[in-house]
Parts: sequence; C-alpha cells; structure tokens
Amino acid sequence: MHIPDGFLDPYTAIATYIVSLAIVGYAIKKSSLLDEIVLARVITLSAFIFVAQMIAWPVPGGTSLHLVGGALAGILLGPWLGALAMAIVLIIQCLVFHDGGITALGANMLNMAIVSVFMGYVLYRTVVKLIHSNVKFVRFIAGLIAGWISLALAGTLAGLEIGIAGYILNRISYSLMISLPSMAMWHTILGVIEGSITGSILSYIGSKYPKVIEGER
Amino acid sequence: MSRRHIYLLIALIVISPVFGVYLANLVGYHEPLDIIAEELGLSEAEFNWTPLKDYMVPGLPEWLGYILTGIIGVSIMLLLEAIVRHFILRKNK
Repeated sequence: MHIPDGFLDPYTAIATYIVSLAIVGYAIKKSSLLDEIVLARVITLSAFIFVAQMIAWPVPGGTSLHLVGGALAGILLGPWLGALAMAIVLIIQCLVFHDGGITALGANMLNMAIVSVFMGYVLYRTVVKLIHSNVKFVRFIAGLIAGWISLALAGTLAGLEIGIAGYILNRISYSLMISLPSMAMWHTILGVIEGSITGSILSYIGSKYPKVIEGER
Repeated sequence: MSRRHIYLLIALIVISPVFGVYLANLVGYHEPLDIIAEELGLSEAEFNWTPLKDYMVPGLPEWLGYILTGIIGVSIMLLLEAIVRHFILRKNK
C-alpha cells in the first residue's frame, strides 16, 4: 500500500505531509515521557512489523499481501506510541529502501501510521467493551474486526488520495471513480487476512502477557 | 530488545526471501495499488536516493540482498533505540 513517487499531485502531497508531521510530531512530544521499557516495546514492535512486511504472500486471484500492522501497533502500544512505531517503520522503508515515495511519505504515514493505527485502537476497544470480556476468543474477534476495518479504511484513503491527484493533475477525469472503489474493494477483501493475523497475535500475547495490551486499559 | 526477540527476528528475516523473492518472482508480485496504477496508466517517477532500493544490495543475489536489507533495517532501529536511550532518556532522569 506504499504509494510511490509520481502518483500524487503537489497539493495532496503537501497537505498529507502537514497533517502527518503534526500528528507524529505530537506523538514524539508525548513520547518524551516514555521510559526505557516503553522505548524497547516501541522499537521491538517496529522491528517485527518491518520484518513482517517483508514476508509477502501471493493471494489466489492475482494479488499479493503482507501484514501492514497499523491496528496491531495501535492496540498494543496505544494510538500515539503506535503511530510513532509505524512512522519509524515507514520512514526507514522510504529513506533506506525506497519502499514508498519520498513525496508520498506524508500520505503513506497518514494512511498506515495514523488512520490505520487510530481506527484499529478505537475499534478494538469498542468491540472488547461490546462483547463481554469473559467470552472466549474476544481478543481474536476484536483484533479481526479492528485489523480488517482499519486496513480497509487505510486502503480507501490511499485510493481517495490517488483519485484526487488524478483529478487535480487532469490525468484521467474519472480517476477517482476507479481508484477509490478499487482500493476500497481490494483492501476490504485483504483486510480479512490482516484482521485474522492481528487477532491471532493479540490472542497469543493476551494469553501470555495480558497487561501489555494498551487497547484493554 | 530481548535476546529471544532478536532470535525470532533473525529467523523471520532468514525465511523472508522465500516469500519476498522466490514466491514473489514466481507469481509476479503485485499489490492492489499496482492494479490501480495499471488501470489509471500511472508510473513511478524515476529518481532514486538509495543503493538499497527494493530491498536489494548491488552485486549480491536477490535472496541474500533481501536478508541483508532485513538485518540493516532492524539494525537501524536498534541504533535508534540506543541513541534515544543514551541522549534523551538519560537527560530526562
């Protein structure tokens, strides 16, 4: 889902940079209160998400997928530190490995480090509260829904950004009509797998170390 | 980061070329974004700032470059952790 250079117009690129830097900047400011244990958790999760994103699975039907991990980061670390962990991953991917464009880094952070993280966190908390916590598989169900919908929304937003760029640059006048529904559809389908992985990881971590899940506090 | 986490990360990095290189080349890796780019006729702008583009190391086979870039990425994060711990957390104490 990493948007490369050349897909966005300057206005969309600048606007998404401003929003993303403001939110990640605020997350950094908040994280100045963190201690060594929390710092280690942020970096450990960043490292695992970075490596998990390198493990791409081919999907029958003509596409591929890897874990994005935004919802997982938000649920495990809380939305601010989760956004920071995802921003670390995306900045290193962009600057060191050219995975995602440098002009689109703001948009990529907005989609995967902010929308995906915050939505994942909010959805997880909501579902856990709605379903009684004694219900078996509650973490899996909440993680599934959070991972699924957060990826669908992040993909939809990427489609919106690309569609708006097409409109502003007069590429194809109907580009929004292609990019928005296509990205929404594909990421809603692939989101089931993102959600399943998110739910499985949360079930495992919850069974071993229930206190580390920030989304349950 | 605990030693157990580092061992697990190394194991995942070592197996990653099976998915990120072998299977990706076998099936022709493309994400939904690539499908939309094809439909809209979008192409990536041709400028580069890193020798490690697409998780490859010049002169090395793809699979080895993939492993090496995985190690480089994780090492940068560990370096970042060490810098923050040294300069910021110590200052806060």
